[in-house]
Amino acid sequence: MNSRLFWKVVSLEARTKMSYRVEFWISAVAAFAADFGVVWFVWMAMFRESGAETIGGWTRDGIIIYYLTVVLVGKLVRYREFTGAISHDIYEGGLNRYLVFPVGYMPYKLAQRIGLQAPRIVQFALLGVIALLLVDIPAETAPTITTIVMAAATIAMAFLLSFMLDYCIHQVAFWADNVWSLDVAKWFVTSLLGGFMLPLSVFPGWAQDIMAWLPFRLLFDLPARVLLHRADAAEWALGLAAGVFWCAALWAAGRVLWRRGSLEYTGVGI
Amino acid sequence: MTRYLRLYAYFLRFSFSRAMEFRLDFFFRIGMDACWYAVHLAFFVVLFNHTGTLGGWTLDQMYLFAAALFLMDALQMTVFANNLWALPIYINRGDLDYYLVRPVSPLFFLSVREFAANSFLNLLLACGIFVWAVARYPEPLGFSRIVLFLILQAAGAFLFYILSMLSLIPVFWMQSRQGIRDIFWSLHRFSHRPHRVYTGFIRRLLMTVLPFAFVVSVPASVLFEGASPTLLLHTTAVVGGGFALMVMLWRMGLRAYSSASS
Repeated sequence: MNSRLFWKVVSLEARTKMSYRVEFWISAVAAFAADFGVVWFVWMAMFRESGAETIGGWTRDGIIIYYLTVVLVGKLVRYREFTGAISHDIYEGGLNRYLVFPVGYMPYKLAQRIGLQAPRIVQFALLGVIALLLVDIPAETAPTITTIVMAAATIAMAFLLSFMLDYCIHQVAFWADNVWSLDVAKWFVTSLLGGFMLPLSVFPGWAQDIMAWLPFRLLFDLPARVLLHRADAAEWALGLAAGVFWCAALWAAGRVLWRRGSLEYTGVGI
Repeated sequence: MTRYLRLYAYFLRFSFSRAMEFRLDFFFRIGMDACWYAVHLAFFVVLFNHTGTLGGWTLDQMYLFAAALFLMDALQMTVFANNLWALPIYINRGDLDYYLVRPVSPLFFLSVREFAANSFLNLLLACGIFVWAVARYPEPLGFSRIVLFLILQAAGAFLFYILSMLSLIPVFWMQSRQGIRDIFWSLHRFSHRPHRVYTGFIRRLLMTVLPFAFVVSVPASVLFEGASPTLLLHTTAVVGGGFALMVMLWRMGLRAYSSASS
């Protein structure tokens, strides 16, 4: 798929997404307020009732900033409404047209996903600025040019990893009647093991050792910690390399699934 | 009433036979909810590694709360969820006509026609977790409290249905994909944590205008804190008031509804 076509698809999807602007902003603000509001109350209660100064290496203010960052990073990494896009193509016969397109299916879907997610960069920036104004961010965690560049690379990797996970899971639709449940189950697992529900440092040591070998921590925990100066250059580079490895592994798995699955596929005219 | 019960028995039979046609999905659904249960329990276990209480509740009480949350979720997934997902599509496409001409209440028909047989197994799993949480609770809870909890929890699941409907009914006027459901899904996350962790204005809001506290947390608290007449009256007022509002808006929505044939 040539880059001109790729970016044309990205632009088309972004414009489609922005055609429902009111819905886009209302759902964004509501989700942000609820996600952040619930954890804010839970962690206020945690610190109040435990009497601890720090929990899992985080102070009360630190953990609030962590969640703020994770919720914002989550906007760029995961895309709930993408749920069904690939599997719908398979179920509803929409895959027919992609089979005759002179472009690969996976790059096309990636371009669509980037386009759908692109308007969220505006949300990320706007809600981020509002958060910066409302929350007192200590100087040692305030973003710098270096951390922003490092975080941008990590978020890009996390986005690709999230897409590859979705791409593989959705291809199960070649064999199963409905993959919605698998997709939701994936979100439950990634939100816990990826650091969206809890910072990974609050888990017991043995659980952290296991999670270090899984790809989920690269989705939310690593980008958030990079942005908050909580990961040094070595950890960042190692995390990025691990992300690239997982993306490659999922890409290979996706190819195998595509080859086998497309043989199972039936649509009108095929 | 007998006619409605007989009709519901037919819905059950159709739903089970349809569920068994898609066996892999059947098991995926069970796996999905099992995953959700595990993640929630793990969340509380990890938190309680760092504190003795949360919202004034101990880990054993939190297990009861989590079990109540699973029961409510399984109940609404089994009885209402599949029906409510389809409702905006019916309204936007004009498919509601089919339900309006039936000799039964369209609200009843559209709300409970599809019984999710796969989620029903999750309801059994949730019951199992509830029994486990009750059994491991350090003090006897008492039969009457458990019965009262079950009644309030059923009311909580019904309240969840009412709130879901209130977020979907605007589709009649908005012709949007799902009304204000995104806002509902965001707000309902407040019901996933005990109402005691919330303070001030937000707690008052969750006990009145946005009564998510009554969906799970208040019924669960009855198990170990008991129920005062005021609390029972408050619950009745919230559920009854919510239901009356929903029916009123539903009727207004039906008057605003138009399709190719109406």
